[in-house]
Amino acid sequence: MATERRAEVTWNGDLMNGAGTIDRVGSGAFGPLDVSWPARAEEASGGKTSPEELLAAAHASCFSMALAGALARAGSPPEQLRTSATVTFVPGTGITKIALTVEASVPGLDEAAFREAAEGAKANCPVSKALAGVGEITLESRLAL
Amino acid sequence: MPRIERSATVSWEGNVARGAGFLGGDTGSFTDVPFSLPSRLNAESGKTSPEELLAAAHGGCLAMSVAGELTKAGSPPERLEVKVRIVMDEVDGRHLVVGSEVDVDARVEGIDEARFEELVEEADAACPFSHLIRASASVTVRARLNAT
Repeated sequence: MATERRAEVTWNGDLMNGAGTIDRVGSGAFGPLDVSWPARAEEASGGKTSPEELLAAAHASCFSMALAGALARAGSPPEQLRTSATVTFVPGTGITKIALTVEASVPGLDEAAFREAAEGAKANCPVSKALAGVGEITLESRLAL
Repeated sequence: MPRIERSATVSWEGNVARGAGFLGGDTGSFTDVPFSLPSRLNAESGKTSPEELLAAAHGGCLAMSVAGELTKAGSPPERLEVKVRIVMDEVDGRHLVVGSEVDVDARVEGIDEARFEELVEEADAACPFSHLIRASASVTVRARLNAT
């Protein structure tokens, strides 16, 4: 069954001096969020989100669900996963890298089996598939929590 | 060119069907946003999903790209409204993002329809998210000039 997920954005003015807002998303779970070009393309975000930060959240959440599902199917559901994603954006070039890291507490699972499940989640989660064109997607995984 | 890094952190507890997660962006712009599998595949129930976040990312990217192309062409927009729908479907038993459908409503002075259409196409080509999503799914951009 197909699902549709929505977001609405407004922008006022030119690129450098103008500003935008992610006004609402279909679920209402977050927003409105301010965005601007300087906050996106310079080191200092000024506390504003950006498409790349939203993508990091999309990928980290997608990966986490895929991994939880794979671990549960293998008979060892996780107690807890903590995942971060870091998206590298080079203005004028695009998104060049996504680095995933995951730390997990999974009773009854050894490090090798966990790593294999994590690599599978990285390969197969729908956001990973949609981002297959990103040059480099890395993964660090460890049982730690 | 600078390399800009943006990060987000997710915590998840439990198995996939009954578990639940929270996510936040490291800028602090959004924090403790809930997500879960049932709300991803069925009713949203006030929870976000990877696909909704991707919709917001694509919308933000395309809004800036359109603003950038219009600015370069000497006719910066007064206002852009961008709506994105990310469609996920089951293909051969797997969930895949199959499309991103974008509507752009623009209020711009001093530009004709044909030039506007061209610039939107260039903006779509320049937006890294359009480019990435198009590698495995369809991206459609419909744009309207001074319609509202």
